[in-house]
Amino acid sequence: MTDPQRLSQGDQRRLLARLRARDETALGELYDALAPWVVGLAFRILQDDDEAEEVLGDVFLQIWTRIEQHDPRRGPLVPWILRISRNRSLDLVRRRQRWWARADRAGMNRLLEAEEAPEPGEAGVPGWPVHREVHAALAALPEEQRTVVQHAYFGGLSHSEIARRTGMPLGTVKTRLRLGQQRLEQLLAHVKDWWE
Amino acid sequence: MTDWLGMAVRPRAPRPDLKQRVMARAIAAGQVRRPRIPLGVAASLLLLSLSVAAVFGGSEVLRLRRERDALAARLAGTRDTLDFLRRPGSRVYQIAFETAGRPGTLTIIADSATHRWLVACHHMTPNAPGEAYQVWFLTEAGPVSALVMPMRDPGPMIAAIPMPAARVVGAAMSVEPEGGSPEMRGPTIFKQRLDS
Repeated sequence: MTDPQRLSQGDQRRLLARLRARDETALGELYDALAPWVVGLAFRILQDDDEAEEVLGDVFLQIWTRIEQHDPRRGPLVPWILRISRNRSLDLVRRRQRWWARADRAGMNRLLEAEEAPEPGEAGVPGWPVHREVHAALAALPEEQRTVVQHAYFGGLSHSEIARRTGMPLGTVKTRLRLGQQRLEQLLAHVKDWWE
Repeated sequence: MTDWLGMAVRPRAPRPDLKQRVMARAIAAGQVRRPRIPLGVAASLLLLSLSVAAVFGGSEVLRLRRERDALAARLAGTRDTLDFLRRPGSRVYQIAFETAGRPGTLTIIADSATHRWLVACHHMTPNAPGEAYQVWFLTEAGPVSALVMPMRDPGPMIAAIPMPAARVVGAAMSVEPEGGSPEMRGPTIFKQRLDS
Protein backbone atom coordinates (compact mmCIF):
# COMPACT_ATOMS: atom_id res chain seq x y z
CA MET A 1 0.00 0.00 0.00
CA THR A 2 1.22 3.50 -0.76
CA ASP A 3 2.38 5.46 2.25
CA PRO A 4 0.06 8.51 2.18
CA GLN A 5 2.48 10.67 4.15
CA ARG A 6 4.90 10.55 1.26
CA LEU A 7 2.39 11.32 -1.47
CA SER A 8 3.32 14.30 -3.60
CA GLN A 9 0.81 16.54 -5.32
CA GLY A 10 1.39 14.42 -8.42
CA ASP A 11 0.70 11.24 -6.46
CA GLN A 12 -2.47 12.84 -5.15
CA ARG A 13 -3.64 13.67 -8.67
CA ARG A 14 -2.94 10.10 -9.71
CA LEU A 15 -4.95 8.82 -6.74
CA LEU A 16 -7.81 11.05 -7.77
CA ALA A 17 -7.55 9.83 -11.35
CA ARG A 18 -7.62 6.23 -10.13
CA LEU A 19 -10.73 6.95 -8.07
CA ARG A 20 -12.37 8.48 -11.11
CA ALA A 21 -11.35 5.41 -13.10
CA ARG A 22 -13.16 3.23 -10.52
CA ASP A 23 -9.96 1.71 -9.14
CA GLU A 24 -11.08 -0.03 -5.96
CA THR A 25 -7.58 -0.28 -4.54
CA ALA A 26 -7.39 3.53 -4.62
CA LEU A 27 -10.49 3.67 -2.44
CA GLY A 28 -8.81 1.26 -0.02
CA GLU A 29 -5.74 3.46 0.18
CA LEU A 30 -7.87 6.52 0.80
CA TYR A 31 -9.70 4.65 3.56
CA ASP A 32 -6.45 3.70 5.28
CA ALA A 33 -5.34 7.33 5.22
CA LEU A 34 -8.54 9.14 6.06
CA ALA A 35 -10.87 6.85 7.99
CA PRO A 36 -9.43 7.75 11.46
CA TRP A 37 -9.93 11.45 10.74
CA VAL A 38 -13.45 11.02 9.42
CA VAL A 39 -14.41 8.96 12.46
CA GLY A 40 -12.66 11.43 14.78
CA LEU A 41 -14.54 14.39 13.32
CA ALA A 42 -17.86 12.54 13.25
CA PHE A 43 -17.41 11.40 16.84
CA ARG A 44 -16.57 14.94 17.94
CA ILE A 45 -19.82 16.15 16.47
CA LEU A 46 -22.03 13.17 17.33
CA GLN A 47 -20.48 11.91 20.56
CA ASP A 48 -21.45 8.41 19.52
CA ASP A 49 -19.18 5.66 18.19
CA ASP A 50 -21.85 3.81 16.24
CA GLU A 51 -23.10 6.91 14.54
CA ALA A 52 -19.56 8.05 13.77
CA GLU A 53 -18.92 4.78 11.99
CA GLU A 54 -22.23 5.14 10.17
CA VAL A 55 -20.98 8.50 8.92
CA LEU A 56 -17.75 6.84 7.82
CA GLY A 57 -19.71 4.42 5.64
CA ASP A 58 -21.81 7.23 4.17
CA VAL A 59 -18.78 9.37 3.44
CA PHE A 60 -16.91 6.65 1.56
CA LEU A 61 -20.02 5.73 -0.33
CA GLN A 62 -20.32 9.35 -1.41
CA ILE A 63 -16.64 9.56 -2.34
CA TRP A 64 -16.92 6.45 -4.50
CA THR A 65 -20.18 7.34 -6.20
CA ARG A 66 -19.71 11.11 -6.44
CA ILE A 67 -15.98 11.53 -7.00
CA GLU A 68 -16.67 13.45 -10.21
CA GLN A 69 -18.21 16.20 -8.06
CA HIS A 70 -14.82 17.02 -6.59
CA ASP A 71 -13.31 19.90 -8.51
CA PRO A 72 -9.53 20.03 -7.94
CA ARG A 73 -9.53 23.69 -8.98
CA ARG A 74 -11.65 24.52 -5.93
CA GLY A 75 -9.47 22.78 -3.39
CA PRO A 76 -7.66 19.60 -2.41
CA LEU A 77 -9.30 16.29 -1.80
CA VAL A 78 -8.98 16.14 2.00
CA PRO A 79 -10.91 19.33 2.87
CA TRP A 80 -13.63 18.16 0.46
CA ILE A 81 -13.90 14.88 2.32
CA LEU A 82 -13.83 16.63 5.70
CA ARG A 83 -16.65 18.86 4.52
CA ILE A 84 -18.71 15.83 3.51
CA SER A 85 -18.00 14.24 6.89
CA ARG A 86 -19.03 17.35 8.80
CA ASN A 87 -22.19 17.87 6.79
CA ARG A 88 -23.23 14.24 7.14
CA SER A 89 -22.60 14.34 10.89
CA LEU A 90 -24.56 17.54 11.33
CA ASP A 91 -27.42 16.02 9.33
CA LEU A 92 -27.55 13.21 11.87
CA VAL A 93 -27.38 15.68 14.75
CA ARG A 94 -30.31 17.62 13.42
CA ARG A 95 -32.32 14.45 13.05
CA ARG A 96 -32.09 13.47 16.65
CA GLN A 97 -33.20 15.27 19.72
CA ARG A 98 -30.96 13.76 22.34
CA TRP A 99 -27.76 15.32 21.05
CA TRP A 100 -27.66 18.30 23.33
CA ALA A 101 -28.03 16.14 26.42
CA ARG A 102 -25.16 14.02 25.15
CA ALA A 103 -23.12 17.06 24.18
CA ASP A 104 -23.68 18.55 27.61
CA ARG A 105 -22.37 15.36 29.13
CA ALA A 106 -19.33 15.57 26.91
CA GLY A 107 -18.94 19.22 27.78
CA MET A 108 -19.41 21.47 24.80
CA ASN A 109 -17.07 23.98 26.33
CA ARG A 110 -14.21 21.54 26.40
CA LEU A 111 -14.51 20.44 22.80
CA LEU A 112 -10.90 21.32 22.29
CA GLU A 113 -8.98 18.95 24.46
CA ALA A 114 -5.65 19.97 25.84
CA GLU A 115 -2.83 18.86 23.61
CA GLU A 116 -1.70 15.64 25.07
CA ALA A 117 1.16 13.41 24.18
CA PRO A 118 0.13 11.17 21.33
CA GLU A 119 -1.00 7.73 22.25
CA PRO A 120 1.21 4.91 21.02
CA GLY A 121 1.00 4.74 17.26
CA GLU A 122 -1.17 7.85 17.00
CA ALA A 123 1.59 10.11 15.73
CA GLY A 124 2.13 7.67 12.90
CA VAL A 125 -1.38 8.13 11.60
CA PRO A 126 -1.26 9.75 8.17
CA GLY A 127 -2.04 13.45 8.44
CA TRP A 128 -0.86 13.79 12.04
CA PRO A 129 1.39 16.81 11.23
CA VAL A 130 -1.57 18.64 9.74
CA HIS A 131 -3.63 17.79 12.80
CA ARG A 132 -0.96 19.41 14.96
CA GLU A 133 -1.02 22.53 12.79
CA VAL A 134 -4.80 22.91 12.83
CA HIS A 135 -5.06 22.07 16.52
CA ALA A 136 -2.43 24.66 17.33
CA ALA A 137 -4.13 27.29 15.18
CA LEU A 138 -7.44 26.72 16.93
CA ALA A 139 -5.80 26.76 20.32
CA ALA A 140 -4.13 30.05 19.44
CA LEU A 141 -7.47 31.81 19.07
CA PRO A 142 -8.68 33.89 21.99
CA GLU A 143 -11.08 31.77 24.00
CA GLU A 144 -14.16 33.83 23.12
CA GLN A 145 -13.44 33.45 19.37
CA ARG A 146 -12.61 29.76 19.73
CA THR A 147 -15.90 29.13 21.49
CA VAL A 148 -18.04 30.56 18.70
CA VAL A 149 -15.93 28.88 15.99
CA GLN A 150 -16.36 25.51 17.71
CA HIS A 151 -20.10 26.00 18.13
CA ALA A 152 -20.40 26.95 14.47
CA TYR A 153 -18.17 24.25 13.05
CA PHE A 154 -18.69 21.27 15.32
CA GLY A 155 -22.21 22.15 16.44
CA GLY A 156 -23.43 23.44 13.09
CA LEU A 157 -25.24 26.21 14.97
CA SER A 158 -26.47 29.41 13.35
CA HIS A 159 -25.40 32.78 14.70
CA SER A 160 -28.63 33.23 16.61
CA GLU A 161 -28.43 29.71 18.06
CA ILE A 162 -24.90 30.38 19.30
CA ALA A 163 -26.06 33.64 20.84
CA ARG A 164 -28.92 31.86 22.59
CA ARG A 165 -26.75 29.05 23.95
CA THR A 166 -23.83 31.20 25.05
CA GLY A 167 -25.79 34.23 26.19
CA MET A 168 -23.71 36.51 23.94
CA PRO A 169 -25.36 39.32 21.96
CA LEU A 170 -25.91 38.36 18.33
CA GLY A 171 -23.61 41.10 17.01
CA THR A 172 -20.84 39.89 19.31
CA VAL A 173 -21.21 36.35 18.00
CA LYS A 174 -20.92 37.54 14.41
CA THR A 175 -17.90 39.68 15.15
CA ARG A 176 -16.07 36.97 17.05
CA LEU A 177 -16.80 34.39 14.40
CA ARG A 178 -15.52 36.68 11.66
CA LEU A 179 -12.37 37.52 13.59
CA GLY A 180 -11.78 33.86 14.43
CA GLN A 181 -12.11 32.77 10.81
CA GLN A 182 -9.78 35.53 9.63
CA ARG A 183 -7.19 34.49 12.19
CA LEU A 184 -7.46 30.83 11.20
CA GLU A 185 -6.98 31.76 7.56
CA GLN A 186 -3.78 33.54 8.48
CA LEU A 187 -2.50 30.73 10.66
CA LEU A 188 -3.32 27.97 8.19
CA ALA A 189 -2.50 29.78 4.94
CA HIS A 190 0.55 27.59 4.42
CA VAL A 191 -1.46 24.35 4.61
CA LYS A 192 -2.19 23.26 1.05
CA ASP A 193 -2.79 19.62 1.62
CA TRP A 194 -1.95 17.20 4.32
CA TRP A 195 0.32 15.13 2.12
CA GLU A 196 2.82 17.94 1.70
CA MET B 1 -10.20 27.53 5.34
CA THR B 2 -12.64 26.25 7.95
CA ASP B 3 -12.76 23.05 5.90
CA TRP B 4 -9.46 22.16 7.53
CA LEU B 5 -10.92 22.49 11.03
CA GLY B 6 -11.99 18.87 10.92
CA MET B 7 -8.33 18.03 11.34
CA ALA B 8 -8.32 19.74 14.72
CA VAL B 9 -9.86 16.68 16.32
CA ARG B 10 -7.79 13.69 17.23
CA PRO B 11 -8.04 10.69 14.96
CA ARG B 12 -10.19 7.81 16.08
CA ALA B 13 -9.44 4.39 14.66
CA PRO B 14 -12.50 2.62 13.31
CA ARG B 15 -13.03 -1.01 14.18
CA PRO B 16 -10.68 -3.16 12.08
CA ASP B 17 -13.50 -5.17 10.52
CA LEU B 18 -15.26 -2.02 9.33
CA LYS B 19 -13.10 -1.38 6.28
CA GLN B 20 -14.34 -4.42 4.42
CA ARG B 21 -18.00 -3.50 5.04
CA VAL B 22 -17.54 0.18 4.15
CA MET B 23 -15.71 -0.70 0.93
CA ALA B 24 -18.23 -3.36 -0.06
CA ARG B 25 -21.15 -1.01 0.52
CA ALA B 26 -19.59 1.83 -1.46
CA ILE B 27 -18.57 -0.37 -4.38
CA ALA B 28 -21.97 -2.07 -4.49
CA ALA B 29 -23.67 1.33 -4.59
CA GLY B 30 -21.32 2.39 -7.38
CA GLN B 31 -22.25 -0.64 -9.44
CA VAL B 32 -25.97 0.15 -9.40
CA ARG B 33 -25.39 3.72 -10.41
CA ARG B 34 -27.11 4.86 -13.53
CA PRO B 35 -24.64 4.51 -16.41
CA ARG B 36 -23.29 7.84 -17.52
CA ILE B 37 -23.94 8.93 -21.04
CA PRO B 38 -20.71 9.81 -22.87
CA LEU B 39 -20.35 13.54 -23.45
CA GLY B 40 -20.35 13.20 -27.24
CA VAL B 41 -23.54 11.15 -27.23
CA ALA B 42 -25.16 13.58 -24.78
CA ALA B 43 -24.19 16.52 -27.00
CA SER B 44 -25.58 14.75 -30.08
CA LEU B 45 -28.84 13.98 -28.26
CA LEU B 46 -29.08 17.58 -27.13
CA LEU B 47 -28.46 18.83 -30.67
CA LEU B 48 -31.05 16.42 -32.05
CA SER B 49 -33.58 17.52 -29.42
CA LEU B 50 -32.95 21.16 -30.24
CA SER B 51 -33.28 20.48 -33.98
CA VAL B 52 -36.57 18.64 -33.51
CA ALA B 53 -37.80 21.44 -31.25
CA ALA B 54 -36.74 24.02 -33.84
CA VAL B 55 -38.58 22.19 -36.65
CA PHE B 56 -41.75 21.80 -34.60
CA GLY B 57 -41.39 25.30 -33.23
CA GLY B 58 -40.89 26.66 -36.75
CA SER B 59 -43.94 24.88 -38.13
CA GLU B 60 -45.96 26.10 -35.17
CA VAL B 61 -44.81 29.66 -35.86
CA LEU B 62 -45.86 29.29 -39.52
CA ARG B 63 -49.24 27.88 -38.50
CA LEU B 64 -49.84 30.71 -36.06
CA ARG B 65 -48.73 33.26 -38.68
CA ARG B 66 -51.21 31.84 -41.21
CA GLU B 67 -53.95 31.87 -38.57
CA ARG B 68 -53.11 35.48 -37.69
CA ASP B 69 -53.21 36.52 -41.37
CA ALA B 70 -56.56 34.79 -41.87
CA LEU B 71 -58.02 36.49 -38.80
CA ALA B 72 -56.64 39.84 -39.93
CA ALA B 73 -58.26 39.35 -43.36
CA ARG B 74 -61.60 38.44 -41.77
CA LEU B 75 -61.38 41.46 -39.49
CA ALA B 76 -60.61 43.74 -42.44
CA GLY B 77 -63.59 42.29 -44.33
CA THR B 78 -65.86 42.81 -41.35
CA ARG B 79 -64.68 46.40 -40.99
CA ASP B 80 -65.26 46.96 -44.71
CA THR B 81 -68.78 45.56 -44.38
CA LEU B 82 -69.49 47.87 -41.46
CA ASP B 83 -68.17 50.79 -43.48
CA PHE B 84 -70.69 49.96 -46.20
CA LEU B 85 -73.49 50.13 -43.65
CA ARG B 86 -72.29 53.26 -41.87
CA ARG B 87 -71.80 55.53 -44.86
CA PRO B 88 -74.73 57.93 -45.40
CA GLY B 89 -74.75 57.42 -49.19
CA SER B 90 -75.25 53.61 -49.00
CA ARG B 91 -78.38 52.06 -50.49
CA VAL B 92 -79.59 48.54 -49.85
CA TYR B 93 -81.33 46.32 -52.37
CA GLN B 94 -82.62 42.83 -51.74
CA ILE B 95 -83.50 40.54 -54.61
CA ALA B 96 -85.35 37.24 -54.19
CA PHE B 97 -84.90 34.41 -56.71
CA GLU B 98 -84.93 30.66 -57.06
CA THR B 99 -82.15 28.28 -58.06
CA ALA B 100 -83.33 24.74 -58.92
CA GLY B 101 -86.59 25.44 -57.06
CA ARG B 102 -84.78 26.66 -53.95
CA PRO B 103 -85.55 30.24 -52.82
CA GLY B 104 -82.48 32.43 -52.30
CA THR B 105 -81.63 36.09 -51.80
CA LEU B 106 -79.05 38.51 -53.08
CA THR B 107 -78.45 41.58 -50.97
CA ILE B 108 -76.62 44.49 -52.55
CA ILE B 109 -75.32 47.42 -50.54
CA ALA B 110 -74.30 50.06 -53.04
CA ASP B 111 -71.82 52.58 -51.68
CA SER B 112 -71.72 55.73 -53.80
CA ALA B 113 -68.78 57.14 -51.82
CA THR B 114 -66.37 54.33 -52.75
CA HIS B 115 -68.32 53.37 -55.88
CA ARG B 116 -68.53 49.74 -54.83
CA TRP B 117 -71.11 47.07 -54.21
CA LEU B 118 -71.14 44.73 -51.28
CA VAL B 119 -72.90 41.59 -52.49
CA ALA B 120 -74.20 38.88 -50.14
CA CYS B 121 -75.83 35.72 -51.54
CA HIS B 122 -77.77 33.22 -49.39
CA HIS B 123 -79.43 29.85 -49.98
CA MET B 124 -78.11 29.21 -53.44
CA THR B 125 -78.13 25.73 -54.93
CA PRO B 126 -74.59 24.52 -55.69
CA ASN B 127 -73.60 24.69 -59.34
CA ALA B 128 -73.35 21.70 -61.62
CA PRO B 129 -69.75 20.79 -62.42
CA GLY B 130 -68.18 23.20 -64.91
CA GLU B 131 -70.69 25.95 -64.18
CA ALA B 132 -70.79 29.08 -62.00
CA TYR B 133 -73.17 31.84 -61.13
CA GLN B 134 -72.21 35.20 -62.63
CA VAL B 135 -73.53 38.54 -61.32
CA TRP B 136 -73.90 41.41 -63.78
CA PHE B 137 -74.14 45.16 -63.50
CA LEU B 138 -76.85 46.33 -65.85
CA THR B 139 -75.64 49.64 -67.20
CA GLU B 140 -76.98 52.02 -69.81
CA ALA B 141 -74.35 50.56 -72.13
CA GLY B 142 -75.38 46.96 -71.46
CA PRO B 143 -74.45 44.19 -68.97
CA VAL B 144 -70.97 44.35 -67.40
CA SER B 145 -69.61 41.37 -65.49
CA ALA B 146 -69.50 42.04 -61.77
CA LEU B 147 -68.65 38.71 -60.13
CA VAL B 148 -68.21 35.03 -60.99
CA MET B 149 -69.31 32.73 -58.15
CA PRO B 150 -68.68 29.00 -58.54
CA MET B 151 -70.88 27.59 -55.76
CA ARG B 152 -69.73 24.20 -54.55
CA ASP B 153 -71.61 24.21 -51.24
CA PRO B 154 -74.83 25.85 -50.09
CA GLY B 155 -73.14 28.35 -47.74
CA PRO B 156 -73.45 32.13 -48.03
CA MET B 157 -71.08 34.18 -50.19
CA ILE B 158 -70.09 37.79 -49.53
CA ALA B 159 -67.89 39.95 -51.78
CA ALA B 160 -67.10 43.62 -52.33
CA ILE B 161 -66.84 44.56 -56.01
CA PRO B 162 -66.00 47.83 -57.77
CA MET B 163 -68.75 49.39 -59.87
CA PRO B 164 -68.13 50.17 -63.53
CA ALA B 165 -67.75 53.70 -64.82
CA ALA B 166 -71.05 53.54 -66.70
CA ARG B 167 -74.22 54.35 -64.73
CA VAL B 168 -75.65 51.22 -63.17
CA VAL B 169 -79.37 50.83 -63.49
CA GLY B 170 -79.90 47.24 -62.45
CA ALA B 171 -78.44 43.84 -61.57
CA ALA B 172 -78.70 40.38 -63.05
CA MET B 173 -77.44 36.85 -62.39
CA SER B 174 -77.00 34.03 -64.87
CA VAL B 175 -75.45 30.58 -64.99
CA GLU B 176 -72.30 30.61 -67.08
CA PRO B 177 -69.22 28.41 -67.63
CA GLU B 178 -67.06 28.09 -64.50
CA GLY B 179 -64.46 30.61 -65.69
CA GLY B 180 -67.12 33.26 -66.35
CA SER B 181 -68.44 34.69 -69.62
CA PRO B 182 -67.84 38.11 -71.27
CA GLU B 183 -71.53 38.26 -72.16
CA MET B 184 -74.76 37.04 -70.56
CA ARG B 185 -75.43 33.88 -72.50
CA GLY B 186 -76.52 31.30 -69.96
CA PRO B 187 -79.84 30.78 -68.20
CA THR B 188 -80.89 33.92 -66.29
CA ILE B 189 -81.58 33.55 -62.56
CA PHE B 190 -82.90 37.10 -62.22
CA LYS B 191 -82.68 40.43 -63.93
CA GLN B 192 -83.82 43.41 -61.89
CA ARG B 193 -83.86 47.15 -62.25
CA LEU B 194 -82.56 49.08 -59.24
CA ASP B 195 -84.13 52.40 -58.34
CA SER B 196 -81.54 55.14 -57.93
